[in-house]
Amino acid sequence: MQNTNENFSFKKYAWAQFKKNKIALVSLYLLLVLVIIALFAPYIANDRPLYAEYEGNTLYPAFASDTRTDSIYNAEGDFIQVLQYDITDWRQLDLTSVIWTPIPYSPGSMDRYNRDYAAPSGEQRFKNSDGKIIDIPSKFRHKLGTDGIGRDLASGLIHGTRISLMVGLVSMGIASLIGIILGALAGFFGDTKLKMPRIKYWLTLFGVFMGLFYGFGQRKYILSQAFSEGIADGMIAMLVSVGVAIGITMLFRMISKAIQLEWLNKEVSVPMDTFVSRGIELLNSIPRLLLIITITAVVERSIWIVMIIIGITGWTGIARFTRAEFLRIRSLEFVQAAGSLGYSSIRTIFKHALPNALAPVFVSIAFGIASAILIESGLSFLGIGVPDDIVTWGSLLNLGRQNLEAWWLIIYPGMAIFITITIYNMIAEASRDALDPRLKS
Amino acid sequence: MFKYALKRILTFIPMLIAISLLSFVISINAPGDPVERLSKAAGSEGSAEQQSGASKKIKQELRKKLGLDLPIFYFSITDLAASDTLYKVQDKYHKANLEVLTHQSGNWEAVSEYYLNLLDLQKAHQIIDAKEIVLNDTSLSLNTVNEAANQFGFEIGSLLETSDETLVPLKFEKMNGLLKNHIFLSNLRTPLSNVTQSREILFTNATRWKTYIPTISWYGGKNQYHLWLLGNGKDRKGLLRGDFGISYIDSQPIESKIWQKVGISFSLSIISIFLAYLISIPIGIYSAYKKDSAADKGMSLVLFVLYSMPSFFVATLLLLQFANPDNLSWFPVSGIQDPTIFDPNWSLWMKLKHRMPFLILPIITYTYGSFAFLSRIMRVGMIDVVSQDYIRTARAKGLGEGKVILKHALRNSLLPVITVFAAIFPMAIGGSIIIEVIFSIPGMGVEVLNSILNYDYPMIITVFTLSGFLTMIGYLVADLLYAVVDPRISYK
Repeated sequence: MQNTNENFSFKKYAWAQFKKNKIALVSLYLLLVLVIIALFAPYIANDRPLYAEYEGNTLYPAFASDTRTDSIYNAEGDFIQVLQYDITDWRQLDLTSVIWTPIPYSPGSMDRYNRDYAAPSGEQRFKNSDGKIIDIPSKFRHKLGTDGIGRDLASGLIHGTRISLMVGLVSMGIASLIGIILGALAGFFGDTKLKMPRIKYWLTLFGVFMGLFYGFGQRKYILSQAFSEGIADGMIAMLVSVGVAIGITMLFRMISKAIQLEWLNKEVSVPMDTFVSRGIELLNSIPRLLLIITITAVVERSIWIVMIIIGITGWTGIARFTRAEFLRIRSLEFVQAAGSLGYSSIRTIFKHALPNALAPVFVSIAFGIASAILIESGLSFLGIGVPDDIVTWGSLLNLGRQNLEAWWLIIYPGMAIFITITIYNMIAEASRDALDPRLKS
Repeated sequence: MFKYALKRILTFIPMLIAISLLSFVISINAPGDPVERLSKAAGSEGSAEQQSGASKKIKQELRKKLGLDLPIFYFSITDLAASDTLYKVQDKYHKANLEVLTHQSGNWEAVSEYYLNLLDLQKAHQIIDAKEIVLNDTSLSLNTVNEAANQFGFEIGSLLETSDETLVPLKFEKMNGLLKNHIFLSNLRTPLSNVTQSREILFTNATRWKTYIPTISWYGGKNQYHLWLLGNGKDRKGLLRGDFGISYIDSQPIESKIWQKVGISFSLSIISIFLAYLISIPIGIYSAYKKDSAADKGMSLVLFVLYSMPSFFVATLLLLQFANPDNLSWFPVSGIQDPTIFDPNWSLWMKLKHRMPFLILPIITYTYGSFAFLSRIMRVGMIDVVSQDYIRTARAKGLGEGKVILKHALRNSLLPVITVFAAIFPMAIGGSIIIEVIFSIPGMGVEVLNSILNYDYPMIITVFTLSGFLTMIGYLVADLLYAVVDPRISYK
C-alpha cells in the first residue's frame, strides 16, 4: 500500500477499490445506459417520427408538444389537412422523407392490426399508406411482440425504465432526506448533548404544536382542495404549510429568548436519540409491504403517491446508518474543534460532520433504491397503487402471467426488473467493500 | 435477566399502542361511508321510498352498533369555532360539509341553524305527493311535476353536501327559478326563504377569528378508538379480545374469515421456511468454511444474483416452464385442489397426496424467497464466529475441524438466524400476497388483496394491526431468546 503519501484522498482510494471489482464497474456502466434510455425515452420509442417531410413542410413531430396542431399547406399554398400531432397516424401519411425513432411506437398506443399477443418472430400485419393490409415491413415490426390490445412491448420497456428509475430516485430522495436529518440529529446529540433552557424547550414544543395547527389544521381544507386539483398544486400548498409551520415554530423560539427568569432558564437536555430510535423501532415492526398496501388502499391511485409512500416508509435503514456514523464522528477532533470555534450545532452537523458520514449511508441508499424498485414492480404486478394506464415493468409482467403463451411478456419485463435490481445491489455491495476497509478481508 | 425481560416488555406496550393508533388513523381516513357499505352488503338496498323508511332505521342501528355516533378519540384538537357536538351528525358527507362551513364562517350556531333549516326544507320536499297534485290540478302532467320535484330534491341534497362558494348561489338560483315556474311547489317557499336567510346570517354574523384559536375538547372513554380497541363491555368485545368487526363484502365476522384462511398460509410458510433453513445452513457453513475459495466466490455470486431476482418473476417463470402445455405440463397452474375429484372425506394422506402437485411450485417460490437471503446471513455470521478467539482455542487444543465447525461455531452463528424466524408469524397472517395471487392459493394473501380491491377496510386494518402485533411479539421473543442464549446481553 502506498497510501501513506501526503496526497492521500479517501475518495480516490475508494474509487480505486471500487474499480477493482469488474462486475460492479460493468454495473455502473449499465446504470449509465439505463439513465440515458430513461432520459431519451420519447426519442427512442415514439409513434411520431423524429423528422418528417410532408407535402414540402419540414416537421419534427417527436420534439413537438402533444397538443400541437398544424394546418398543412402544400407547396402551391393549397390547404391539405389539419394535423393534430397526438392522434395522427404518421405511418399512414405519405411522407416524402422521414426519420423514425428506433422503436416507432408509443407505450400506450394500440396497434389494432397486431392485437392478441403478436409474437416477436411470428406473423405481424401492417396497413400501408394505400390502405392495404400487408406483411409488416421490418422497420415497423414489433421486435419484442405486443400485448393483448396491441401495445408494443419494446416501447413499454423503454418508457418503463423512466418510471423505474424515477421510483428509485424520488422515493429514496425522500427517504434519505428524512433518514439523514433524523439520524444525524439522533447521533450527534444523543440523549444528553442537546441542551437548551427549559423555557426554550417548552416554547419550542408549543411552537411546533401551534405551527402544525396553523400550517396544517387551519389549512386542511385549502390543502385538500389543492390536492384535488392536481399533485403539483397540492405540493405547492403543502410547501406553504410546511413554511408556515416552521415559521411559527421559529417565532416561538425567538420569543423564548426574550424571557429571562432564573428557573425558566435552567438547562434541560432533549432526549433526541430516544425519540428517533423509538420511531425507527416502530416503523421496523410493521411489515413494510403490508403498510404500503394498506395506505395505497385508502388514497387515490397515483404513481407519485406510491413513490412518496415507499419513501416515507423506507428511511429507517438510512437513519440507523447515519446515526451510527455520527456517534463515531462526534467525538473526533475536527468536530470538537468546530464546537470550540463556536460554530452552531446545525453548521457543525451539516457542514462538517455530514460529508464525512455519507459514505456508509450511500451504500444503504443504493440498497434502498433496489428494494424500492422491487416494491413498486411488485405493486404494479398486483395492480395496486399504480393507475392502469401507466405502463410499468411490473404491469407488463402481470399481463404475461395472465397469458402464459405470451412468453415475451414474461421474459423481457422480468429480465428488465431483475437486471436493474441486480445493478443497484452490485453497486451497493461493491461500494460497501470499497468505502469500508474494515470489512475487507 | 428478569430485569432485562421486564424492561423489554415495558417498551413493548407503548409500541403496541402506537401500532393500534396508526391503523386506527388509516381506517378513519378510509373513503366511503361504512354504514352505506354494510347496508348494501346486507342487501337492504331498495327503491328510494323503501330506503327512506325501513332501511333508514337499520342504518341508524348499524351506526350505533359500529359506534359511529361517538366522538373519534379521547380528545380532539380543534379551533374555538368548531362544534364539539358535530360528531352526532349522522351522514358522513353532511358532517364533512358542516365542518367546512364552520371553518368558513366561524359561527357554529349559525351553521347548525342553517343545517336544521335545510333539513326542514328537505322534509317539506319529501311530503310533496305528485299524484295528489295531479289529481287536484288536471292541467299538469305527472311527468312535469315529478321532474320539477326531483330537480328540487337534487338541489337540496347537493346543498347538504357542498359548501363551494361558487356553486351554492347557483343552486339557490335554480331552486328559486323552480319555485317561480311551478305553483305546486309553493309549500316550499317559506322553508326555502328560511334557508336563504340563515345562509346570509352565516356570513353576516361570521366570527372568523374564532378559527384561529386552538382548543382541546375532552370526550372521555366513550369514543370510537376505545370501542374499537377495548370494546364497551356489552355487544362489542374490542380488538384486544378478538372482536375484529364485520367485513363490508359479506357481513361476515372478520375473525371467522381469517380462521378459514390462515391455515393454508401458515402451513405454506412453515414448510418453506423449514426447507429454506435446511438448504441455506449447509450452504452458509460450507462457503464460510471454504472462504475465498473458487467455490465460495462462485456460490456467493450465484446467491447474490438469486437474491436480486424478484420472487414474482421466478414464480411466473416456473409457471411458464412447468405448468404450460407449450413447454412442460407437469403441475397444475392454480389452486390447491381439483374440485372435480377432491373429496372432503378423504383421509389426510389422500388429501396430501392429491394436493402435493398443486403445492410444489408455490413451495419452491416461497422457499426461494428466503433461502438466498438466509444463506448470505448464515455465511456472514459463520465467518464472524470462525475468526473468534474461542474457535482458535478449540483448534489449538486439537479438536477435529468437523467438530470445531459443527459443535462450537455453528451454535453461535445461528444467533442472527433466530431473528429471521420471528418474521414467520406475521407472514402467515399477511400471507405472501404476490405468491398466493400468482398460484391462486386461497390463503390470507389472496384474502388481503381481495379486501383491498373491494375496499373492505375492516379486514385490511385487522390484518395490518395483527401482523404489526405479531411482528412485535416475534421481535420480543427473539430478543428474549438472545438473552437466554447469550448471557452477555442481559448485563448491557
